[in-house]
Amino acid sequence: MFKMKMLVIAVCMLASISGNAQDRYFTKSGKILFESKAPLEDIEATNKTVTAVLDKKTGAFQFALSMKGFEFKKALMQEHFNENYVESDKFPRSEFKGSVVNNSEVNYSKPGSYPVIVKGKLTIHGVTRDVVANGLLKVTAEGVRAESTFNIQLSDYDIKIPAVVKDKISNTIKISVDAQLDPLKS
Amino acid sequence: MKRIIIFIVLIVVVVASVVAYRMYSEETPDIVNREPDVVTDAKTLIADFEKDTAAAVAKYMDKVIRLSGRLKKIDTTGTLILGEEGNASEVVVGLDRRHMQDHAGLVVGSMVTVQGTCSGYTSGSADSGDMLASLGTTVELKSAGIH
Repeated sequence: MFKMKMLVIAVCMLASISGNAQDRYFTKSGKILFESKAPLEDIEATNKTVTAVLDKKTGAFQFALSMKGFEFKKALMQEHFNENYVESDKFPRSEFKGSVVNNSEVNYSKPGSYPVIVKGKLTIHGVTRDVVANGLLKVTAEGVRAESTFNIQLSDYDIKIPAVVKDKISNTIKISVDAQLDPLKS
Repeated sequence: MKRIIIFIVLIVVVVASVVAYRMYSEETPDIVNREPDVVTDAKTLIADFEKDTAAAVAKYMDKVIRLSGRLKKIDTTGTLILGEEGNASEVVVGLDRRHMQDHAGLVVGSMVTVQGTCSGYTSGSADSGDMLASLGTTVELKSAGIH
C-alpha cells in the first residue's frame, strides 16, 4: 500500500514538472542591444547570448545575460565599459525578473502580434530597480518572439561617468530586447 | 634655437595625437583565426563548469577558446548552440560581426569547431523560484566564428 502511495506521488510530481515545462518558452540566443547617443560619441553594443524564459500560464518573464558578452566595435570602448563603467568582474551578470501584466490578453494558441506591458525588477551593476516597459509578443506556430525597447538611466544603477566626460556621454541608455522563444520540452 | 624647440613640440603633439586617435579608433580584434589560449570540446567545458565553477572561471574566462562540439541549433541572427540532444546543458556561441554568415552551410547534428572568447556562464540548479535555473549549465562564448 505504501509503495502504491509513493508511486502515485511520484507520478503526480512528474506530471507537475512536465506540465510546467510545457507551459514555458525559452531561448539561450536572445539579443540585447544598448545604444547611447551623445555629443562626444555614440555607443552601441550587442549581446547575442541572452537567456530568457516566458511562462505562458502565469506570464512570468525572466532574462539574464553576462555583461562581458557585450560586443563593441571599438576595443577601447569595450575595455572602458567592462572595467570602468559596469565593473564586469565585480558584477558579471544582469537580470530581469518580472511578468507580462496583461498576459490574459495574449492567446498563445493563435498566431498574431500582441502588445504587452512587462513589469518587474531589473538588476544591473548590483543595483535593482523597478522597470515597466511596453513590448510585443509575436505568436507563431514555432514559438513566441518577444520584443521590447525601453530606456534606463545609468545614474539609477550607480554607474558613474568620469567627470571629465560627464557632459559628453549620455546618462540615458536605450535597451532593445529581441528574443525568439521556443517551447520548452520536459 | 626657439624655432627648433617649437618644431619639436609640434612634432610631439602631432605624434601623440595620431597615437591617441589610433588607440581610440582601434577596432576589437578578429580572434577567430588567432592562436587560442585553450583547446577543448563542449562536453569537457560544460563538465568543468559543473564540477568546479571557480576553477573553470580561472581556466576559461576571458580566454580565447577553440571548441569542438555537436551543433544543436543555428540561430541565423548570430548565435550557434553546441550540445547533445536530451541534455539541457549547452555552449552558446555569439558570432563576431565579421563572421555573421559562418553558419551558412552548417548542418544541425554535425560536429563543428568554433573559436571565441569565454564571456560567461550560468549554473543549472533545482531552484524552483528561478526559471532560468531549469535550463541546465550554459557556457557563453562571444566574438566567435567557425574555425
